Amino acid sequence: MDEAVIVGAQVVAGHDGSAELLVTLRHANGVEAPVQLDEATGLKLMAACGASHVDELSGQSWRRIVE
Amino acid sequence: MFDVIVKNGLVVDGSGAPGFKGDVAIKDGRIAAVGKVTGEARTVVDATGRVVAPGFIDPHTHFDVQLLWDGAAKPALEHGVTCVVPGNCSLSLAPLKIADRARLIGMFQQIEEMPPEAFTEAFEWTWEDFAGYRAAIEKDLSINVAPLVGHSVIRLWVMGPASQERAATPDEIKAMQDLLRECLEAGAVGLSTSFVDVDENGRPVPSRFAQFEELDALSAVLGEFGRMLQIVPEFYATDITIARIDQLAELSLKHNIPTTFSPVFDNAGTPNSVPRQIARVEEQFARGARVWPQMQTRPADISFSLLRPSLFFGRLPRWMRVLRQPLEQRLAGLRDPAIVEKMIADTGPDEGEKLLGRLVLRGGDAAPPELAGMTLSEIAKARGETPARALISLSLEHGLDVAFVSANAGHEKTERVGPMLAHPLVHIGASDGGAHLASFATYGDTGYLFSEFVRKGHLTLEQAVAKITGETADIWGLKDRGRLQPGKAADIVVFDAERIDRAEELPIFDMPGDGMRYTRAARGIDTVLVNGEVAYTAGSYTMARAGVVCV
Repeated sequence: MDEAVIVGAQVVAGHDGSAELLVTLRHANGVEAPVQLDEATGLKLMAACGASHVDELSGQSWRRIVE
Repeated sequence: MFDVIVKNGLVVDGSGAPGFKGDVAIKDGRIAAVGKVTGEARTVVDATGRVVAPGFIDPHTHFDVQLLWDGAAKPALEHGVTCVVPGNCSLSLAPLKIADRARLIGMFQQIEEMPPEAFTEAFEWTWEDFAGYRAAIEKDLSINVAPLVGHSVIRLWVMGPASQERAATPDEIKAMQDLLRECLEAGAVGLSTSFVDVDENGRPVPSRFAQFEELDALSAVLGEFGRMLQIVPEFYATDITIARIDQLAELSLKHNIPTTFSPVFDNAGTPNSVPRQIARVEEQFARGARVWPQMQTRPADISFSLLRPSLFFGRLPRWMRVLRQPLEQRLAGLRDPAIVEKMIADTGPDEGEKLLGRLVLRGGDAAPPELAGMTLSEIAKARGETPARALISLSLEHGLDVAFVSANAGHEKTERVGPMLAHPLVHIGASDGGAHLASFATYGDTGYLFSEFVRKGHLTLEQAVAKITGETADIWGLKDRGRLQPGKAADIVVFDAERIDRAEELPIFDMPGDGMRYTRAARGIDTVLVNGEVAYTAGSYTMARAGVVCV
């Protein structure tokens, strides 16, 4: 089944003064779009992906966000 | 005989017109004359070498609670702000039934980070309706207030706990319309709503359960009064924000109302985001809609301590692995010399000088107060350590409760943000004054507008003044404010164009219950008049209490 894949991630400043995770997704139709996750969600995504470095998120399924 | 004459200043009247040397005379709280004024006054303010401008208007604050014990909304007034708009992001302190107070306090604490004593000890909670809240704050105001009413509290009043569970029925929507109408008649400047905020338990605030039909019905009531709809869109995703811009445009056109949204951030990671939002706003204004993107002047910072995991370490895998462990294991890791040596080595051959040296210790927590405001590099040198080692050892010495800030981490490129702020359709605001108390200072954005963007040539003095006075008053329908013209309310700030700025961020303990907040003092502000009375001068607040609810 086609699904969105993370193709990039970086740490950016968030609205509430914390670090947030800006994730770039490549959707099944080839379109790439960014989405910014708050700190708690970003940390959860990294843990779900087994990533200790933001670069390790590339190539992971976006489905991980709900795991 | 005038009450006050502000003499010999550079009069920048809030219209955007070139400044001119002259005087401003005041009688009975209103501007009586502008230009070369002859005659006497009981009080003369010498403005030689200074700018004389309308008082600044801050259109996005959360001073709802603070105004109940501090009618100056300190330090907003000393920064030249003479009118604040509280009640943003769907939350206001009225209308609110007694039974719902605890629920709302939780939501406010999530946003404002105020200690519980602020709600239980600092004021007498006497009201339920909006008129009652207005009366409670009006007793002791030295700043003007144009309060929004929050969509979440309107929902909470009508639906109770179901407001955080489901869509409203047609009868409930009708009841919300009636309640909103009552609030607008009592002096609300508009309605705020949020598609993002959560309560203290992480649950969406009530406004997020509304269907479009509900927002449409409430906007119809705003249309009866020509009042503002303020929203917090899903700012983490540009395309959703653009969809909200389109939705706001439909509501603006259908009901003939102004609308505004924030935050609007420029970030290196999404360089096309703000340009795309502004382009969409331009298209919608061309159709006749009024959708004002509200942009803050100050850069965004990143704060963290080792007490909790932080994405700040997202490029340092070993730090990330140690810090995301439960507290006991985290402490054990940070006390293990073998692990620490590897962590330090990961920060580079200079052991973190380049990577971490510019971090600033924030203070207000368990750290020694005398270190507040120092860079990690300075602290490390004083301790005879390298920055990475000092970060770990100092944190361990104080139970890890030592916060650092990485300043200017977003919305920080003046050459990009300056032209955005100068754009005729960008509304300068979004300070969040009175919120995020324990996270960062939300004061002094107006000073920063002049120090960073006017003095560096991105906006003219007149343009910047107009943006935060006359144009803001026009956007919000504050007909009596924002310009130095005969007949207008005499809200005036006298400042030094070469010195106006925000001071360093520092922790102070002036909240109820000795609660801490980060704040910034003002620089370059000589005198502030509110409704013709001197409310702040020579570095001190006066006893004047001339502020009003000015809607």
